[in-house]
Amino acid sequence: MAAVLQTAANSLGRRLRRWAAARQGTDPVCVELEPRRVYILPTRAGLVFGAIVFTMLLGAMNYSNNMGFALTFLLAALGIVSIHHCHHNLRGLSLRALGARPVYAGEPLLFRFALENPGLAARWQIDLRWDGGPATAVELAPGERRLISLPLPTARRGRRRAPRLSISTRFPLGLFRAWAWVDMDLAGLVYPQPASRASGTPRGESGRQETGRDTTGDDDYSGLRDWRQGDPPKRIAWKALARTGQKLVSEYLSGTPLPRWIDWESEPAGNIERRIARLARRVLDADASGLDYGLRIPGSELAPAQGEEHRHRCLRALALFGEDAGR
Amino acid sequence: MNRPRRERREEAPLESAGQLAWLLGTLLLVTLPHVPHVHPWVTAMVIGIAAARLSLALRRRRLPSAWLRVPLTLLAFAGILATYRQVSGVDAGSSLLLVMAAMKLLETRGRRDRAIVVFICFFLLFAAFLREQAVWSPAYLLLTVTVATMALLQTARPRAPLPPAEALAVTGRLLLQAAPLALLLFLLFPRIPGPFWSLPQAGGRAHSGLSDELSPGDISELVLSDEVAFRVRFDGPPPASAQLYWRGPVLAKFDGRRWSARAPAYLPGLRRRLERSGPEVGYEITLEPHRQPWLLALETPIDWDAPKAALSSTFTLASIRPVERRLAYRARSLLSTRTPGSMPAPARAADTWLPPDSNPRSRAWAAELRAASRDERDYLGRILAHFRREPFFYSLTPAALGAQSVDEFLFDRREGFCGHYASAFAVLARAAGIPARIVTGYQGGERNPLGDYWIVRQADAHAWVEVWLDGHWERIDPTAAVAPERIERGMDTAVRSGRLRGAEALRGSALGQRLLLSWDAVNAAWNRWVLAYGPDSQQRLLRLAGIADPSLRHLLALLIAGMSAGLAWLAWRSQRRHSGRPDPLLRSYRLLCRRTARAWRARRPAETPAEYAAAAARARPELAAQIRGLFEDYERLRYEPDADRAAIGRFEAEVRRFRPPRAPARARA
Repeated sequence: MAAVLQTAANSLGRRLRRWAAARQGTDPVCVELEPRRVYILPTRAGLVFGAIVFTMLLGAMNYSNNMGFALTFLLAALGIVSIHHCHHNLRGLSLRALGARPVYAGEPLLFRFALENPGLAARWQIDLRWDGGPATAVELAPGERRLISLPLPTARRGRRRAPRLSISTRFPLGLFRAWAWVDMDLAGLVYPQPASRASGTPRGESGRQETGRDTTGDDDYSGLRDWRQGDPPKRIAWKALARTGQKLVSEYLSGTPLPRWIDWESEPAGNIERRIARLARRVLDADASGLDYGLRIPGSELAPAQGEEHRHRCLRALALFGEDAGR
Repeated sequence: MNRPRRERREEAPLESAGQLAWLLGTLLLVTLPHVPHVHPWVTAMVIGIAAARLSLALRRRRLPSAWLRVPLTLLAFAGILATYRQVSGVDAGSSLLLVMAAMKLLETRGRRDRAIVVFICFFLLFAAFLREQAVWSPAYLLLTVTVATMALLQTARPRAPLPPAEALAVTGRLLLQAAPLALLLFLLFPRIPGPFWSLPQAGGRAHSGLSDELSPGDISELVLSDEVAFRVRFDGPPPASAQLYWRGPVLAKFDGRRWSARAPAYLPGLRRRLERSGPEVGYEITLEPHRQPWLLALETPIDWDAPKAALSSTFTLASIRPVERRLAYRARSLLSTRTPGSMPAPARAADTWLPPDSNPRSRAWAAELRAASRDERDYLGRILAHFRREPFFYSLTPAALGAQSVDEFLFDRREGFCGHYASAFAVLARAAGIPARIVTGYQGGERNPLGDYWIVRQADAHAWVEVWLDGHWERIDPTAAVAPERIERGMDTAVRSGRLRGAEALRGSALGQRLLLSWDAVNAAWNRWVLAYGPDSQQRLLRLAGIADPSLRHLLALLIAGMSAGLAWLAWRSQRRHSGRPDPLLRSYRLLCRRTARAWRARRPAETPAEYAAAAARARPELAAQIRGLFEDYERLRYEPDADRAAIGRFEAEVRRFRPPRAPARARA
């Protein structure tokens, strides 16, 4: 019996979602919860409450008990008023999506939102969740604006489209649940999970093969040059800076090497994902070494450079490899 | 991955003391009214479990496991079965609910469990009202529902409770908004007269009242009771006290000692055939429930609006169902000592019948007296004269009478009260071949000047005789012959023996008398306006509202209209609360723009205040200084970081004072 009800409820829920999606479409990144998009239904406790009020009504009629009627009607009116308060606890709120920083596969994407209560009344017990996910509770004082991070688990690289967002409340008495679905078409970028260091460097591959020189070690110190945007801080000649006031960087032999390429073709063929993981590892390693590096994968080539922005572009290319092509 | 997390959160025994306190408070409030009625162990169990629960919460201990809870619950249910031997009935039912609520307290793990405790409490409150609906009940209702709402509000929260002030504000708002809707529902929700199922005895409490039997000694119990039988409000000037004979059941069967009522006969159209002669009086009666079908009315009732009531052939007004709740009805009566009827031969035989071997001395005496009398009327007059002349006494504590009760009373004891006199008189009448019967009811009443109504108590119960003379039943009250003051001034002055109870003692003093009457006036108003409110009152209400022929449709239409208006008002109010921006400066600025627009043209959406002001100043040079000044003030207040409230207030006032003359048509274009 319970199972049948559960199935029926689930099927109804799916229909409701489809209907709402067709009705609302996709939202812009800033949404105000207007009355027409705030839905409300009784909770299970609300249904029990309704049954109780109905039973009491029958009892009051049977016994012609006017205090019984008074109690019944007061509770009924309380229920009706609470529908109203529940609905109003959501409506008028405005939600703005602030995006999510890219993460490596397996880490949760943290989507940030700004939720604002423009009204004169406080908003209590508001739950934000990805449709079907765990809730994050918020309460807003009148006029308050609050930043909320909503984690979205990730498993694989690529563009992770956020599911529909649900904003709901059971305030005040838990008899009703009002909710709004917001579908802003948000997406976060998931970098590939880099291969672990041990298995990271493929056979016969290292910077030396391409540059012909060792990339590390102080033995190759060759002097100072002017600081350039993107030089790693550990190479800044702090003593020289203190002495001359000029920002110089220690230069090594490997500092002016041929640009180092991280090449798809240099990876052994096989599982694409493993290949990408290894490339990601090499990008990170190269980035850490502070040298210029370029990325060459089928369909795109990123010229050698360094810095955070460059690393992001490389990881992004790896993350979206095979995905954009399909579009 | 997400599910377990949520469940863990709900399963933690997480009531903060704040949440639990409201829950326990609700349970306490709904338990109190049941304490005098349920078995003490039930109360003890509820209190014990509540205390245990509180202590567990305070010491942050785990709740008991099912190994303890289930046997305890079974034990409690078995205890209730053993105590009450049933599960229906108000006492057993409320005991069951109390135990359930208490046991549920021990497993409140989630929101839902806590809500269920509150819901059971609502039922318990309802059950309390089945027991008693007193004047203070509405206050108790409000208090309990407020606490219960707080409990629901606080326990519906997954984590910390709301700050108390905030919670109280929310609850207050909810209840204040619900109250008018509830009132509307109370007044207009169609009341379908019950009952739909049988009514269990409310705690087995006996209601005192008239019965359909009379044997010597019966009424004396009533006379000792101070309980109110009914209250009356007369339309016009009230009749004299001696005329207030409230007719109840008529007893025409006599077995030598005991009088009882015949199965009532209802003659169709009796009401129409009544001859309406003599003074009529209209009145409204609020009858206390007495669990008997008859409705008291002044002699002789000719018109009434009580639902499902009919006049029997003996002119007793009766409802088809026992009166289980307080009932208000209006009636009109002829103030007459005669009751119409008919006397065919079989009826005459029945109404003159006496058991052959009963009361031989009385019958011999009757035959003697009848032979000496001119006619029937003279004979009856001689009996009354005998009562007056001989040393008969009116006493509420007469000695017990034996089998030949009338003989003993007439010739040996010569003391008794209305029942004895009426019984003896009727037997004497029958012995002479005059049809006679006993009418029971109430006589007189106490006027309450504070509410301008009459209180008739059980103590006013009375019995008198009707004899068939000249084609009518004629009322003769033999008690009046012995104790005329009983009839003229009421029971109180007639008897001052043996019934001094608390209320009686209080009544002795003038102040006490006044207090009692005030209290009764409050009760009467409560009964009349609130407890007796029902289908008829709804009809009357609609008629007052100007609907000539009220029907269910009217009621529903009014109800729906009222509810919609209430909800619309609520929506409008919340709209302002929830989305209105609390910015007086912006409000004043908008007003300023509207005023300027009146003088010139509306601000275009892309225009900044400065641009708009400059343009307006050029177009209306005579207002230039004012407009510039005001707009500059606005910008300064808007962007100045420490603009204070007072400055904004001054700006607001200035804008209000700015009333530029309307633009000439050409300037506007």
